[in-house]
Amino acid sequence: MMTKLEAIVQPSRFEAVKEVLTELGIGGMTITDVRGHGRQKGHTEVYRGREYTVDLLPKIKIELVIPDNLVDAAVDAILQSASTGKIGDGKIFLSKVDQAIRIRNQERGASAL
Amino acid sequence: MKLESQTSTLQDLYADESARIREHFEVSGDGKAAIRDRTSLIDSVVTQLWKEVTGTGAPAEGFCVAAMGGYGRRALFPYSDIDLLFLYEKETRAEYLGKKVIAPLSQALWDLHLRVSPTTRTLAECRKLYRGNIEFNISLLDCRYICGDENLFERLRSRALPGMVMRESQSLMQELTGLARARHEKYGRTIFHLEPNIKDGPGGLRDYQVACWLAQIAEMKHSREWKDAADLLPPPLRSDAMSAIDFLDAVRCFLHYRQGRDLNGLTYELQSQAASAGIGLHGGHAASPNDWMRVYFRHARAIHRLTVLFDEVPRSKSVWSRLFGGRRSPLSTSEFTVVDDRVSLAHAGSVEDPVVMFHLFELVAGHNLKLTAETEHAVEAALPKIQKWVSTTPDLWEHFRQILVLPHAAAALRAMHRLGLLVLLFNEFQLIDSLVIRDYYHRYTVDEHSLVTIENLHHLAAGNGELNRRFRDILLSVEYPELLYLSLLFHDVGKGMPTENHVEGSLQAVKGVFDRLRMDSAGRDTVNFLIGSHLRMSATLLRRDIFDPEAIHDFAQIVGTIEHLKLLTLFTFADIKAVNPEALSPWKAEMLWQLYAATENYLNRSVDDQRLYVAGEDAKQLEGLIPTGEIEGESERFRNFLEGFPKRYLLTHSSAEISTHYRMYKRLGHSSAEIAVTKRDDYYELVLVTTDRPFLFAKVAGTISSWGMNIMKADACANKAGIVLDILRFSDRFRTLDHNPSETVRLKQNLVAALSGELDVADLMRRKFQPEKHAPKVDVETRIHLDNECSSHSTVVEIVALDRPGLLYDISSTFAELGCNIDVGLIDTEGGTATDVFYVTKLGVKLSPSQQHDLQHELQRRL
Repeated sequence: MMTKLEAIVQPSRFEAVKEVLTELGIGGMTITDVRGHGRQKGHTEVYRGREYTVDLLPKIKIELVIPDNLVDAAVDAILQSASTGKIGDGKIFLSKVDQAIRIRNQERGASAL
Repeated sequence: MKLESQTSTLQDLYADESARIREHFEVSGDGKAAIRDRTSLIDSVVTQLWKEVTGTGAPAEGFCVAAMGGYGRRALFPYSDIDLLFLYEKETRAEYLGKKVIAPLSQALWDLHLRVSPTTRTLAECRKLYRGNIEFNISLLDCRYICGDENLFERLRSRALPGMVMRESQSLMQELTGLARARHEKYGRTIFHLEPNIKDGPGGLRDYQVACWLAQIAEMKHSREWKDAADLLPPPLRSDAMSAIDFLDAVRCFLHYRQGRDLNGLTYELQSQAASAGIGLHGGHAASPNDWMRVYFRHARAIHRLTVLFDEVPRSKSVWSRLFGGRRSPLSTSEFTVVDDRVSLAHAGSVEDPVVMFHLFELVAGHNLKLTAETEHAVEAALPKIQKWVSTTPDLWEHFRQILVLPHAAAALRAMHRLGLLVLLFNEFQLIDSLVIRDYYHRYTVDEHSLVTIENLHHLAAGNGELNRRFRDILLSVEYPELLYLSLLFHDVGKGMPTENHVEGSLQAVKGVFDRLRMDSAGRDTVNFLIGSHLRMSATLLRRDIFDPEAIHDFAQIVGTIEHLKLLTLFTFADIKAVNPEALSPWKAEMLWQLYAATENYLNRSVDDQRLYVAGEDAKQLEGLIPTGEIEGESERFRNFLEGFPKRYLLTHSSAEISTHYRMYKRLGHSSAEIAVTKRDDYYELVLVTTDRPFLFAKVAGTISSWGMNIMKADACANKAGIVLDILRFSDRFRTLDHNPSETVRLKQNLVAALSGELDVADLMRRKFQPEKHAPKVDVETRIHLDNECSSHSTVVEIVALDRPGLLYDISSTFAELGCNIDVGLIDTEGGTATDVFYVTKLGVKLSPSQQHDLQHELQRRL
């Protein structure tokens, strides 16, 4: 009934992703500044003669829980807005959610989203 | 008012009377009347209940009820706690009184839904100081008789309390101010929060009360008498403080009534409601939220000024403080006396002299001092005299820049702002005075945000951590930090202007500042660049992939030069961090530094490829620079001079400097080398125009070093025709040229002789060079990095080493001895670290791997 969507995207694509999700009517999301790497392993730079390794690259993690009927549209929207075609564009993870509860009024289920 | 004896009836009457008080407040907006009437109402309720419980047989002798805290002061806000003191004489009666009087009376009050905080004490207990609960001692200062044994209360009021206060005055004041400082710390030590707490925040009701208590304790220690605390406040501050309290009383009543709870945060939503209801305003007329908040901040500022009294209390009780507290500090001068970190004037009228006025704020900016109340008053009184001076003086920038670069500049600027001096100097700042711009991220008003940016940069000097160190290193290498601070001060003034784009507004407003400061064109250009571009680095961070070379290339085009890059990086660091304490997360700070490092590398490593081609795409850029020719062919000759120089040459030099260099180039036909040596602020600048030749740079660097000079910066490049332009900045270690200006001529002669080969520079260095006598203060690891990728036709050599006289000679002579030619050289010194970048070739091409190995090995050995 509900799905948790976690997307790791480039910081530069975040505004675009947020915009398309908002257009879909998805207003609620949690954003975290994160560092990490997948296949894009980072690289070595030299600054003032000293080498430094940029092995964990900055990304933004977007977390949202949405009704199942919105999942495909949300995934498509993120794929289109977050893609640059290069390594390091990020990933999307989907997982099932059993229950959602609004703390203010204990409302449960999809209406609590 | 009279209340019936039955609790249920009492409840109805309490509700009716509370509704009447609220209704009156809603109509009149008179907060003072509301809290006074509510106090009377609760007095009646307590007295009535007292009669009921003591009517059952409990004795009134040796026992009474008193109001404490805000209730005692007759300032009971709609949802404030009701602090009651049950005072009795003998410990042996405690249990009996507790059961027969205190418990039923408290229970009845709770049944009325009143938030009662009862305290039970004997008279003897009220004489003690409670270090762990100093709030109790303080709340006793406001105690007021309600009912019961009046004689017992009188003994408390006239004997026990004065005795305790006189005996413990020092401790009471220290604990009180300690709590106030901790509270201020929690709120970031500023009144300028976008959503302030009007009770506990700086400039709130609590500050006023602390000032009253301190004044009362001091008075009681002196006269043993209870006096109205408001009458004891410093006369210059009293009137504004009383108006402010009337305003805040009304606002706090409004907040309580709207929220139905003792919540004192002035949120955006409540600001709008209060503004439209005209709360606290004369006549209760509606105002815009921004205008209403400006009134709020004006009152909060009046209250906050009372906190000068907090500083009258010695902070520490340490042995050190007892020995030296209250002594005149060595910072004192004939004009100022500094005691316990506070500055007072030797003569009150002395600050009418603008020079003394600026010296005063320089002292504050240098040592984080505070002004005494008398000094603040003297500064305010002197403002009309200063105003006349400001409109005519040519020295305003010189004085103001001295303050900006000192480590506690923000403290000095805040004091200047609070006293009206900052706005008097720069009326543009008035545009953002107490200005609230609502968004989800900013914590402070626009003026305070601007001051926090300056504070953030100065705090870099004291901060720890690797990232802090990196940004601090950048700051230390900035040539004119005062321009950065000035830009930060005015970068958001456009937010107070009716323009769509606040950046354009700020650029417009800052023109007036330039004129008043009589700032030169280079300074204006830098400030305009920073204000005009101040959002572009954060935009690049957030909207571009900073690991994409194209994004770095585009950003490098925006900044143009490394100096601009450094300034914009620091600006962005300070600006983001001033949004709120968490805004510059380590994640974001790391990204900012990565963007800086990548762009600096790009700018350093692309110099050789970014050449001027006057017939190509750069033609338009050169149009404004071409001298209008009284001589035929002048423009062609000028183009020939520039053809092939690195593009950064145009970005790092003004048109006047370029004209000077061109004139030197034109004279080359009459001499083998054109040399100019000019004294600048605290260094000399040498410009050399000549034809390229082997060992050229080494000869120049060696000759200058042999004269005892220390080369701090240098730019070396050549045009397409092989004309070399070297610009070196050096400090005069032994003040040879300072004391003997005529020696400049001999230095030039030496240089000409060295270039022509008449003078053996290696021999000169052996004979005359004097190395530093003292060991270096910093330890810098020598790092040499060679790169054959980033330039299309040169090998880039980056060298980081401990700076020392003769270093550049050692490097450049090593190049020359190995047959390498310096196409471009960028020499910089940051603190004790030399950071040099050279583009070198051998026989016109990049160095081979084995040549690179030899060069690296030899450089490593020599350095």
